[in-house]
Amino acid sequence: MSIDEYTSIIQNDPMRMYRAKRDATRRSVSSKYTILGFISSGTYGRVYKAQSLGEDAKIHAIKKFKPDKEGDVITYTGISQSAIREIALNREIDHENIVALKEVILEDKSIYMVFEFAEHDFLQVIQHHATTLRTAITLPVLKSLIYQLFNGLIYLHSCHILHRDLKPANILINASGVVKIGDLGLARLIYQPLQPLFAGDKVVVTIWYRAPELLMGAKHYNKAIDCWAVGCVMAELASLRPIFKGEEAKLDSKKNVPFQRDQLLKIFEVLGTPDEQDWPGVKDMVEYQNMKRLDPYSNRLHDWCHTRVRSQNGYDLLRQLFAYDPDNRLSAKEALQHKWFHEDPYPTWKWVPFCVLVLKPTDFYSAFQAAPQQIPPHRRITQDEAPSMVPLPAAPFNSHTQSKPGSSASLSGGGPYVVPSGGNGGGGNGRKKARMG
Amino acid sequence: MATDFWASSHYKRWIVDRATLRQARADDLLYIDDPEHLDFLAIYFADRKLGKKLGLPQRAIATATVFFRRFYLKNSYCETDPFIAIAACCYVAAKAEECPVHIKNVVQDARQIFGSQEHYNVKNFPSDNSKLAEMEFYLVDDLECDLIIFHPYRTLLALCKSGDVSDDPGDEEEAGEVGVGIASDDGPRYWGTGQGQLELPHNGLQSAWFIVNDTYRSELCLLYPPHLLAIAALYMTCVFHPATAARLASASASAPSGPGAPAADPPPRRSSRQAAERKQPAQDPLAFLAALNVSLPLVATVAQEIIAMYALWERYKEDAAGADPGGTPDSRGRTTAAS
Repeated sequence: MSIDEYTSIIQNDPMRMYRAKRDATRRSVSSKYTILGFISSGTYGRVYKAQSLGEDAKIHAIKKFKPDKEGDVITYTGISQSAIREIALNREIDHENIVALKEVILEDKSIYMVFEFAEHDFLQVIQHHATTLRTAITLPVLKSLIYQLFNGLIYLHSCHILHRDLKPANILINASGVVKIGDLGLARLIYQPLQPLFAGDKVVVTIWYRAPELLMGAKHYNKAIDCWAVGCVMAELASLRPIFKGEEAKLDSKKNVPFQRDQLLKIFEVLGTPDEQDWPGVKDMVEYQNMKRLDPYSNRLHDWCHTRVRSQNGYDLLRQLFAYDPDNRLSAKEALQHKWFHEDPYPTWKWVPFCVLVLKPTDFYSAFQAAPQQIPPHRRITQDEAPSMVPLPAAPFNSHTQSKPGSSASLSGGGPYVVPSGGNGGGGNGRKKARMG
Repeated sequence: MATDFWASSHYKRWIVDRATLRQARADDLLYIDDPEHLDFLAIYFADRKLGKKLGLPQRAIATATVFFRRFYLKNSYCETDPFIAIAACCYVAAKAEECPVHIKNVVQDARQIFGSQEHYNVKNFPSDNSKLAEMEFYLVDDLECDLIIFHPYRTLLALCKSGDVSDDPGDEEEAGEVGVGIASDDGPRYWGTGQGQLELPHNGLQSAWFIVNDTYRSELCLLYPPHLLAIAALYMTCVFHPATAARLASASASAPSGPGAPAADPPPRRSSRQAAERKQPAQDPLAFLAALNVSLPLVATVAQEIIAMYALWERYKEDAAGADPGGTPDSRGRTTAAS
């Protein structure tokens, strides 16, 4: 090319050479993995099951962040806050009970996060017991799941990371029965924040698992919100249905956060209305006046636990996880020391193959585990029964407010869920979440 | 991770040696007569104007600067456009530090600042948001997705009582930021077992803070762990900051075993530590630093490098003042020596 042409390129697009050099050296997703099938989708993009073309031929879950389109043309509009968080945090952490990020591939304006694959999740286990087995999860398994969940949470909290979206669909289990906390799309570092947490994301945690201080409009919150969510998850595993299944009041058109009346009522019906003795800070909460207008309830958690948790110590653990005052709530570290885990029946050893304990061998993925090259049966996309932190693609009510690039979008994984189709057998139905792990 | 620097990507993948830095500039050297001009470029591009204009906190600006330095570990100035790289670094850093800014503001402000005649006179900064987003995409790839950065500010806050900062807004607007966020360190210090906090006289912490700010003018953030930079900045404050130096002199005079070299003598450290616990006013800052679990010769080396950086900066300013306005690093930001 002539000097003039060269000068013109430099003037108009000085980075062209740089990009060409980078593009030439980059390894594509398809050169490293075979896509076996589609696991789930949400507003963030899609999750695929894939097999490494390397020696190990390992199975992975690849989360592809959707590129933005203007008409039919894919354009760059900036990486979402959620993707930046998930990538940045996952690059730093390493723990047996957290879904491991293997690599990130940037290709064709899309971001691919390659995670270790986990076969099951808590929601699947709950639904399998509720609809197919019609029996409660046994205490040893229940204890093992919760114990491992706390073990992972201790690690996150020791790293000053709040998960902010713990719920059954985000907690995975691999074939060996090891619990893996997934989806850090809403997680963030709370170490020396440059601005208060509430300034970044107006709403955090899926409504059923949201702690009372958040529902009451707290301007400051801490690790205790994750511990509340674990309490909800534990109760759900024990009873096979969400303990506080409230209706979420949606953000209004001005993006004001409404009073979550129904969710608070669901909590009060079990735990009683909080008073200043339980929770000295309650009177300073934004929603205190609204709360006082609700009918008063008394605490009946003990009765609730009687048939469902079947253990005095189990009740005591839940009671402490459901402490209204965040400062009095059990921390993950304290919870691991709780008597419930250290009395008969003890938690199962986690390396007992999980499917032997709770699932029938023919269930779930065993069909294509036997023939891993085979493309999994056609899957049907269904929608989650549970609310999500992320609007469904079909629900435009606030997607435009939350997914703006460069804004403090509160995207987590979520949205529509996939269910193994009939060929796979009783995977339960409904809200099985993206198993991105 | 937030407290464990030793397990971080910052420590494991991004602390490099001098040879690596030299290698990264190999292509640029071909276009330049005096290698020092490359160090001038490093100062030139460490400008905080865009970050400030975007209203980013100092820590986010520092993160952007570290991203920029890491990017140029893998790329040369002569093959890239540093201005769009700076803008992309600010854009990603704002997100990584949880204080996001809209992409169109970054483009607008970058065009204004880089295009202004008095600063850079870069007229071809793209007006299209997607160009910046595209650069972000390649930048994140070159950064290997390692977006969490440790800064010396954290060590300063952990080591110093910041009491005197809040009652005095300081001589620059940024000083107020010292107290932002959670000031106290609730985890163990990631770099050692040191305990207690240093009581600095009036403005002492700010002085150390400004020294840390200045270190981003150089590539020191790629060479040394941040806590060493912070301790070196504190050490330099003890020596050069008038009020702190005066405190030091009086503490040394009252210490039983005399002043001595900073790191020399464990016994006076113990006694002055105990003295501090008994709330006696004379805490010996040097004794405090000596008690930290870090290599003092290394701290001295870092302090020397910071002093060398200031000397370089002086020469840079003289060079800029001496040349005619168009003769400083040219508008494309490459091959300064040609000017």
